[in-house]
Amino acid sequence: MLDGIVRFGHAVMMFMNPGNLFDVLWSTQLGIIVGMLPGLTATMGVALMTTLTYKMAPENAVLILMCMYIGAIYGGSRSAILLNIPGTPANAATCLDGHPLAKQGKAGEAIGLATTGSFLGSLFGMIMLAFFTPLIGNIALNFKSFEFFWLCVFGIVICGNLTAPKDPLKGWIAGFFGLFVAMIGMEGMHAYARFSFGSVQLSGGIALIPAMVGVFGFSETLMIMKQPKFVLIDSKIERVIPRLSDIIKYKRTILRSGVIGTIIGAIPGVGEDIAAWVSYDFARRASKERDLFGRGSKEGLLAAETGNNACVPGAMIPVLSLAVPGSAPAAVLLAAMFIHGVRPGPLIMIEFPDFIYQVVAMTLLATCAMFVLGLSMVRALVKVLTIPREKMMPFVFVLCAIGSYAIQSRMFDVYVMIIFGIIGYYMRAMEYPVAPTVLGIILGDLLDKNLRRALVLTDGEMIPFFTRPISLILILFIVLTIVGRTNLFKKVMSAMMGKINKIFRRGSYQESIT
Amino acid sequence: MQQKNMVKADFVTSIVLLLFGTAILIMSIYMPRFEGLGVNPYSVPGIVPGLLGVILLILSLILFIRSIVRKGYRLGLSSEIIKQYFTDPSTRNFLLALMLSLVYGVFLLTRIPYSLATGLYILFFILIFEYRPKENMSSQKKTILYSFVEAIFVSAGVTLVFRYLFLVDLP
Repeated sequence: MLDGIVRFGHAVMMFMNPGNLFDVLWSTQLGIIVGMLPGLTATMGVALMTTLTYKMAPENAVLILMCMYIGAIYGGSRSAILLNIPGTPANAATCLDGHPLAKQGKAGEAIGLATTGSFLGSLFGMIMLAFFTPLIGNIALNFKSFEFFWLCVFGIVICGNLTAPKDPLKGWIAGFFGLFVAMIGMEGMHAYARFSFGSVQLSGGIALIPAMVGVFGFSETLMIMKQPKFVLIDSKIERVIPRLSDIIKYKRTILRSGVIGTIIGAIPGVGEDIAAWVSYDFARRASKERDLFGRGSKEGLLAAETGNNACVPGAMIPVLSLAVPGSAPAAVLLAAMFIHGVRPGPLIMIEFPDFIYQVVAMTLLATCAMFVLGLSMVRALVKVLTIPREKMMPFVFVLCAIGSYAIQSRMFDVYVMIIFGIIGYYMRAMEYPVAPTVLGIILGDLLDKNLRRALVLTDGEMIPFFTRPISLILILFIVLTIVGRTNLFKKVMSAMMGKINKIFRRGSYQESIT
Repeated sequence: MQQKNMVKADFVTSIVLLLFGTAILIMSIYMPRFEGLGVNPYSVPGIVPGLLGVILLILSLILFIRSIVRKGYRLGLSSEIIKQYFTDPSTRNFLLALMLSLVYGVFLLTRIPYSLATGLYILFFILIFEYRPKENMSSQKKTILYSFVEAIFVSAGVTLVFRYLFLVDLP
């Protein structure tokens, strides 16, 4: 514990120089602008920024990416409040109460509350990141091939389930499609080029960054161009600094949303949008002012914004300890870490023990910058929202193309970006979530190697896959997730709950004991 | 997409996915097993893709059966519906943006210098979406000027940053 605090102190001091502080400020501000603009998501921002920072030192590059990530997730609240369009999917729940507040002439207050909620959520998540990453990292040291295989399956199943709440089947199809994409190219055991059809380029595999830029960047550009134009509401921005009494009044909601956001962040591939919705839903159920929700509730706004920003450090917990991303932007960060030679995963506590605390320090700096920048220059920045999409989107596509090209200087990556952009567009149009596909691309190699390694170890025997304690827990979660979405299970559960309720009703209880 | 159309889309997608899953499975079965090299049979390259092919087949079969139960096979395609789809402004915008981006990404980048290709793409993208042919030319001077300015600044800025700051050998 004390060792951790010392390492964290060292990490903070390491970043306390004018160069790094300048990087923190500009990248967080850029993140806020990216998040604000509908169509530019946090994932796209982090992916494009990865291509711009790949020649920097690892600490500087990851610092800039973390700032971009935290800034963008917060920045999306601006357009949610002022346009009723979430700047990033993570801010969809913010629209419900943020926009009604703006319509009531309280846009400034709503922005201030969103900033404070995001700040507190991010700080809470940061503490959890510092506490749980070494803990999970130590547990993960006991992971063998069997556990890693089940962890990959668990990630795909739970991510598919939560990112497609209406139809988990589509989420799972998307996830297994992503795993298949990862199979393309030369495999690690016998150097055989799978699904390459004699192409030298394909035998190198599908690179993650171009695929992600396509799925999140190009497809989003196409989506935005298809949608009708949005209108900025004319709301005066006066008081931005939130009232302390509001924060104290809703302290329980903030704490609850912080916990929910962090936990959801730590679940592989799920991400900030789900964290915000779940936090919002829990806050509504527990609130004394339930009627105000959806009509300009400050509590609802705080819950959504605290939840989505607490998810950011939460998503970094599995990235650092297991090399499994907790969200789509975290997946890009994971890829960026590999590009820079940092190898997150169970061995991080042995190979790069300081890096965990450096990420915690980066989160702290980005959070503070977000808070300061979020409460200042509000009126000036709102003007960014008036840039028409026809002028913004070609610029975004130019960055998508050059960003994909720059990493390996080959046109093949631009084609990959375009193909995945078109696939991503149709997936969105047909309500297939894209996050499980991205998670699949990342986990594919891990699943492939560990399944084959485990089968070789057991000589094809399947029993060891089901008898190890951690494997058993993961299998239980997988089965529950799948079975839990079947109609039969729902019927059985509702019948059981009905019977339990009957027993606990006073009359029935007395009858049953007499 | 409306629920009614979604069921139809699911029916078509499920058939595509069934074919896709089958193709993966067949290709995985035919992958080499390196028996002559004495390789462990459980480490062969086709084992994991084959498993993924089977899972995709099962999932797409469930989607297929579900779409049939919901009568998704009644596609009801007619020339009028297809015409309506393509004349819809949102579809037109999507197709235009896609075509422009494809021309830039696939043809222009490999055939003409990067800065010129980028400038032309931005110029035409803005003009095609913002210029109103029926309106007076003089009332749209600002749009035309803006598109030229953005095209020059973005192409010059991106070229300079990537070529001289990040030392990228541009396409």
